[in-house]
Amino acid sequence: MKAAARLLRRLARAFVVVALVVIGTTFLVRSAPGYLSDAREMDARYGNAARAELSAEAAKSGSLKQLLQTEITGWTHGDLGISRQYEVPVAELIAPRLAVTGSLLLRSIVAAWLLALCAALVSSAGRRPSLLWQSPSTLLLAVPTAAMATLCMVSDHGGPVLVMTLLVAARDFKFLDRMLQKAWREPHLLQARAQGLSTPQLVLAHILPSIASQMLALATLSIVTALSALVPIEVIFSVPGLGQLAWSAAMNRDLPVLLAITMIMAVAVTLAGMPADRTGEWQGA
Amino acid sequence: MHLSRRTRKFAAAALIAACAAVCATQNAPRLPGELAWNLGTDPKTFDPAKVDDQASELVRYLTAGVLLRFNRSTQKVEPQLAESWTPSPDGRTLTFRLRAGLQFSDGSSLTAKDAAWSIRRVLLKDTTAPVAEEFLSAEGVTVDTPDDRTVIVHLPQRVIGIGKVFDEIAIEPASRPSEGRVTSGPFVVADYRRSQYVRLRRNPHYAARDSNGAALPYASAIRLDILDNHEQEIRLFERGEYDLIDSLPPDYFGLLKQKAPNAVRDLGPSLNTEQMWFNQSPAAPLPAWEKSWFQNQAFRVAVSRAIHRADLARIAYDGHATPAYSFISPANTAWYNHALTVPHEDVAAAKSSLAGAGFRMNGSQLVDSTGRAVTFSILTNQGNAARFKMATLIQEDMKALGIQVTVVALDFPALIERLMHRQDYEACLLGLENVDPDPNAMLNVWLSSSENHQWHPSEKTPATPWEAEIDRCMNRQASALKDADRKQAVDRVQQIVADQQPFIYLVYPNALYAVSPRLQGVQPAVLSPGLAWNVEHLRLEGTR
Amino acid sequence: MIAQSTAFKRTALALLCGLVVIALAMLTLPGKSYSAQDRDQLLAGASSQHPAGTDALGRDRMIRVASAFLLSLAGAMLAAAATTLAAAAVGTLSAFSPATLGRFAMLICDVFLALPWLFLLMMVRSALPLTTSPAHSAAVTFLVLAALGWPACARAVYRGARQLRNAEWMLQARATGLRSTQMLRHILPNLMPLLLPQFLISIPAFIIAEANLGALGLGIGEPLPSWGGMLLELDNSALLMRTAWVYLPIGLLILILLLLEAVAAEV
Repeated sequence: MKAAARLLRRLARAFVVVALVVIGTTFLVRSAPGYLSDAREMDARYGNAARAELSAEAAKSGSLKQLLQTEITGWTHGDLGISRQYEVPVAELIAPRLAVTGSLLLRSIVAAWLLALCAALVSSAGRRPSLLWQSPSTLLLAVPTAAMATLCMVSDHGGPVLVMTLLVAARDFKFLDRMLQKAWREPHLLQARAQGLSTPQLVLAHILPSIASQMLALATLSIVTALSALVPIEVIFSVPGLGQLAWSAAMNRDLPVLLAITMIMAVAVTLAGMPADRTGEWQGA
Repeated sequence: MHLSRRTRKFAAAALIAACAAVCATQNAPRLPGELAWNLGTDPKTFDPAKVDDQASELVRYLTAGVLLRFNRSTQKVEPQLAESWTPSPDGRTLTFRLRAGLQFSDGSSLTAKDAAWSIRRVLLKDTTAPVAEEFLSAEGVTVDTPDDRTVIVHLPQRVIGIGKVFDEIAIEPASRPSEGRVTSGPFVVADYRRSQYVRLRRNPHYAARDSNGAALPYASAIRLDILDNHEQEIRLFERGEYDLIDSLPPDYFGLLKQKAPNAVRDLGPSLNTEQMWFNQSPAAPLPAWEKSWFQNQAFRVAVSRAIHRADLARIAYDGHATPAYSFISPANTAWYNHALTVPHEDVAAAKSSLAGAGFRMNGSQLVDSTGRAVTFSILTNQGNAARFKMATLIQEDMKALGIQVTVVALDFPALIERLMHRQDYEACLLGLENVDPDPNAMLNVWLSSSENHQWHPSEKTPATPWEAEIDRCMNRQASALKDADRKQAVDRVQQIVADQQPFIYLVYPNALYAVSPRLQGVQPAVLSPGLAWNVEHLRLEGTR
Repeated sequence: MIAQSTAFKRTALALLCGLVVIALAMLTLPGKSYSAQDRDQLLAGASSQHPAGTDALGRDRMIRVASAFLLSLAGAMLAAAATTLAAAAVGTLSAFSPATLGRFAMLICDVFLALPWLFLLMMVRSALPLTTSPAHSAAVTFLVLAALGWPACARAVYRGARQLRNAEWMLQARATGLRSTQMLRHILPNLMPLLLPQFLISIPAFIIAEANLGALGLGIGEPLPSWGGMLLELDNSALLMRTAWVYLPIGLLILILLLLEAVAAEV
């Protein structure tokens, strides 16, 4: 009963967060400079047509309240709106890109976990923190994502999956390394090692289960890292995913598309964070 | 604690598996005989009547059959679907005679009825076709079809360059607009994947033949990729995935020249201009003393004289640009004014003219007659490296005059809002693309009442005598019957602009192209589309 | 182990201070300016006049890198201080308020983290008068980054402060009737171990954020050098072929970030 109430509370919280994000995004995009401008206004051939279109739009969706009303009534009918830059339904734009981005994220996160786990197992097994293992991950995190992606592309080595894997792996490695360091030094493990239990048995029977509870926190961390790197990676490698769409929507003030993508990301992060909240992070709360 | 060999092997295997999962590439396969190049952005529409962006324009150019084609190389209007056309002496009646045996791509015959229907559709108010504006008073235009092969268009008033307007009107099957799927041009829209590519295939019923009687177009298909990334475009061109690059950025010209010297072409100055101008609008939210600077001819001319245009061309464009002083580029041989007197680079003369206008030096800072320091900001758009470099070079040049300049780069929507809606800027640096060599196409920029009269838009009456004279001259060239009269009027406008410097012209960027050695039949032209204007004659080596 | 890590931190800090001193020294050299354009030596390699070559506009790369380093370090420290203060205030107040208020504050933090901050930056950029000097716009950029960075910090402070609130000695103090204002005198010193690492970790984060902004074109105005502006040179393979000195900014940036992280790292 208590668990159900807690779950309901968390769902309600997630809903409130997403609702506030929607209002905030609408306000930011609508107030940002250039919402009702179009590059075609500069072209003498197309200027009049562009201006007519824009004034029609201003009449329809001038104020923030009007905009929000149109958007929310649309969603309640399952209609995500029409994209301002492509003039097609937003759902039609997002569906194929969701698959592309999902595949990129999934491949990168799985590969990153494998990479980070192996590296962390080897690194944490040493007697003291090894600089050799710490440096690559610190290095990877120090390079701005855009620079890394650009260098990969310009040198023709590696693609979007590689860059994202390295980034997520670097962040996960630090997390896993810290956890595994603690796990290796548990008293019962020291005893088991003294009694001659082999390393694979130790890893499988004791280490992995003890960190399993933290896996959800790891998942949140991975997803948040991957999502924050998504836009620069997709834009630089021209991957037709949600990140690239979000960037072009931002540049073209395409509010319906931006809202849809922001909602998807907010839901993803909030839902990913929910179980993690329960297991470890809010110990003090 | 060391790991046993088995554990190490397991870890290694897992690492390899991770790496394998990471490697994934995808490539869109090319069909035999298919040409491919980069379109850049998604076409906003495939309906030829509603085209209002460059990507859609190119798709229309490649697929639409038109009565008259403006030859980008000779810069003359030629009959295409029409076998001849005759304007009446007063220019208000146009008679087109269609070729015999014309067909659409689906095999149905093309007659005068289809041509008339297409023209009427473009003129209809509901269609909101941008090209309708070129007819000046679209509602008064009538179209008759006395027989199957004759189309007569009656215009309420004469229109300069009406032939070129028909280059933009696609002839579609009457009452069956198909958005490019049924056309009378060399290609037909076959497939469109948003943000990926547009595929065109050959029109089997295209009427034109080459000099040996072989069917045109040579290419079986065209794939236009949608890739908004110059870096990747160059890479794909080097790999042979693209056959041409339509507008090569200047920095990549040098790079490609090293790797494939035969592939790059620099055709010299294009028709486009890059210019800087000061905000002269009285309604601008600027302090009165700033407005007085910008409205002062001596100030504008001095700034123009202090700019080292040769450096701009050499540094910002890697040498692939030509210093500019007028809105007509030397590539526009018909309209270029060879007798133009322009304020050439001369910093000493600039300083003395500023002194004559009441400005003086206070240490190393220029101040006006009231003692205020002269500073201004240059607004330009983000994402254009050459323009940003030019702004930074000008910033440095202005130091010689003692003027402090700030450079602000905004993204395009924010820039347009400041520039066109609020007039909230001091100086702006942008470029103008001219697709039509005829100055009449620039009427909207020079008429003081126009919204595109950038330095002072939508004037109710001309604010200065020289703007009034520009209005008179531009109206004269729009209505003059003789070409010599038109040239005289446009020459006069060029001289006024050179004297008053409302636009401080900086450079004419060169027309830069890259052509794969495997592509045959290319005749690069300065007008857009410079490489694909004769697309029917393009083919890949070794294909038939 | 602990002695080793302290020695490591000390070395990193010493290296950083050394770099700062070298950069300051370079800027005070006579006749050197970060905006002077040597138009005859574009993208030149190393020479006696220009030890690290010049950029595409003929400006000395060494001076520009030194200026960018000092500017971003100063800006990032300013922003990190502002962020940590704001986060400390919000986190502590929420932790010591009734539970609902605390949860509400954390909800606002979550919302903040999910918003597209890019538009806020565009708005601020556009709202700035066009004649704002590059130095002022740089300061504004860092302040805006600080304003966007506090939620992440605040959550960590909130957690730490809540733990403090439930600590035994705190419970005893409250039981004996200690007022909230008096409690603050005890809380703040205990939060320092939490706030100081946050401050130190934020500095490289803000440097990277400013670099990313510059790469997007929303960074610091010309001719003031910035990491972002110099990293823009890397996205053009044509430039990369001309001279290897274009890699100097990114190499130095990585080194500085590594040093900063080493100073801030906890074992």
